[in-house]
Amino acid sequence: MPNLRWSYMDHWRERSPRGLITQYASVRSMDRFIKQLAVLGFEGIDTFFFSLPQFDAMFGSLAKFEDFMRERGVQKIVNVFFAKPNATAGFAFHERSDHDNIVRTCETIMERCRDISVEGLIVMPTNTYWQMEPVDDEKIAIIAELWNRVGEMTRRYGAKTSIHHEFWCGIRTPEQIDRFYELTDPELVYFFCDTAQHVIAHVDPVALYEKYHARCSGFHFKDTHNLDTTADFRRPPDAELLSPTVERWFWEMGTSGGLVDFPALMHAMKRHAYQGWVALEHDKADIGGSNYAEATAVGKWYADNVLTPIYR
Amino acid sequence: MPGIQFAYALNAWRPTYDTFVRPEQHARALKTVSVSGFRAVELNCGAGRWEPLGNLEMMEANHGSIAGFAAFLRSCGIDAVSSYFFDPGVFLSRAGIPLAAGKSADRAEIVERVHEYLILLSALGGNRLVVKPAPAYWRTGAPSKELLRNIADLWNEVGELATKQGIQVAMHLDCLSAVRTEHAIAELLGATDAKSVGLAIDTAEMVLAGLDPLAIYNRFTGRVNHVQFKDVLLRDELSEATQTNAELNFLSSGGSREVTRWFWEMGTTGGLVDFPAMLSAMQAGGYRGWIVVESDQTPYPATSAMLNGWYVKHKLASLT
Repeated sequence: MPNLRWSYMDHWRERSPRGLITQYASVRSMDRFIKQLAVLGFEGIDTFFFSLPQFDAMFGSLAKFEDFMRERGVQKIVNVFFAKPNATAGFAFHERSDHDNIVRTCETIMERCRDISVEGLIVMPTNTYWQMEPVDDEKIAIIAELWNRVGEMTRRYGAKTSIHHEFWCGIRTPEQIDRFYELTDPELVYFFCDTAQHVIAHVDPVALYEKYHARCSGFHFKDTHNLDTTADFRRPPDAELLSPTVERWFWEMGTSGGLVDFPALMHAMKRHAYQGWVALEHDKADIGGSNYAEATAVGKWYADNVLTPIYR
Repeated sequence: MPGIQFAYALNAWRPTYDTFVRPEQHARALKTVSVSGFRAVELNCGAGRWEPLGNLEMMEANHGSIAGFAAFLRSCGIDAVSSYFFDPGVFLSRAGIPLAAGKSADRAEIVERVHEYLILLSALGGNRLVVKPAPAYWRTGAPSKELLRNIADLWNEVGELATKQGIQVAMHLDCLSAVRTEHAIAELLGATDAKSVGLAIDTAEMVLAGLDPLAIYNRFTGRVNHVQFKDVLLRDELSEATQTNAELNFLSSGGSREVTRWFWEMGTTGGLVDFPAMLSAMQAGGYRGWIVVESDQTPYPATSAMLNGWYVKHKLASLT
């Protein structure tokens, strides 16, 4: 039994005669999507909370969607990702008055997944940096309270709440991250390591994993070619999509110029005997003329041929 | 050669003189093919920058030597070049003009051009030179005795050279070919040396041309020495594949129906090829050789490679 199982974090797009589509365009598109993942050896998918209703609409229920996946060789939905980058009404994470609403929203997600065995709720812990700055200890404490509550709730559903630190969110520096984990319950709130997001923020994901390996519930393995050298992280309106300095932040593993040291991370995971899911991710892979299908194949090739020999 | 082995044709990536030319692009395609479950590739022959994987000159320029190219393939998870596709009608030398298989005056130069690919195949683990054996129907009409004789003489000579290197010639009949009936196929096979020259069945090309690849296999079982798997949703019911300039007006433009794309991945809804039946027949017939999966005309080569890989793994592998 391997220690690692590979999942695919869904950002899939493909060109069609009708223009750019996602796999939610039709059951036929979904069929093609799942088969492509299956042949590459992915056993699961990670998806977004806003995609869940689409599975319901296409298949009648999430359980029936999982049946559809299993018929094609992919086993399950592993994690659901939740984020509200904009501090819209009711979703300012650093405002206690919004917490009841946010917890309720997260519980609605988990309730929707009741009939399947989702293992984690992965969250962007704050709104964009610029909508919550200045980031101070008091705000971090308020945010920690929120995710402790959510963690308690998801535990009732048998799922872990895990924190995904976008380079453009409010908990992004080593000091902020340390403070946050000091204030959260290790039994309720877990660390989720997105390799590229940390590197862009000038944080070494290997060192971070070494520090928080006991709380690490999973990974997004994706690469970047750029550090944030101009404080993009705090630039409105959207550092990830609209940066004036870097057109494409994220890359699939195995490209020339990649800054993430994946082999070093694999060695660290081996040292700590990590057992669980690793998600391949490369959002925005089609910027500049590439495409998700090829990026996914090349990324998984790298996983199979370079990383798996280190630790499997 | 052990049983049946699958390979993948790289023609879907459509190299031209200014696209799909960089080794890093080749590496991405090869890795895509590899991780989709294929460990060997079929490449096209061609000259200079027009076919960067299809000639020794570019191979040496990019990788130093044939051995360097083999190492490059291995670094991408590809163990062998199963086969080279050799069409005398494309640019096979930088100075040359397209050659004609049926023209006896071109025979010496065609044979000369073959040498390079026999060397490459031997060094890269392959054993099939897949040739376009005959002109398009619209150029010659039904093949005359003389045309068949010229063609057979050419490929027999190539076959004799090839067998010295452990390679066989496989005659690939596409949907435009002058050889497009069972009778003509039988005549051509009858005029060629069974020890060195065989028939390549391309499932979709044959269906499009109105032939039944399964029936062809069953009739010529002992002579089939190469197979290509791809699917097709339509037949040439309007007989446009035999009309003037069919390469452009039919195959490329889609004929009067303006069919966007003739060829599809295995498993496509509405596909006319019965691949499991074909594979079962090949098993029963004792076929030992390559099945090269193709996806020419796809706008999405990576997606096609993965979908074809899925089909092989989930629908065909259990039959082999």
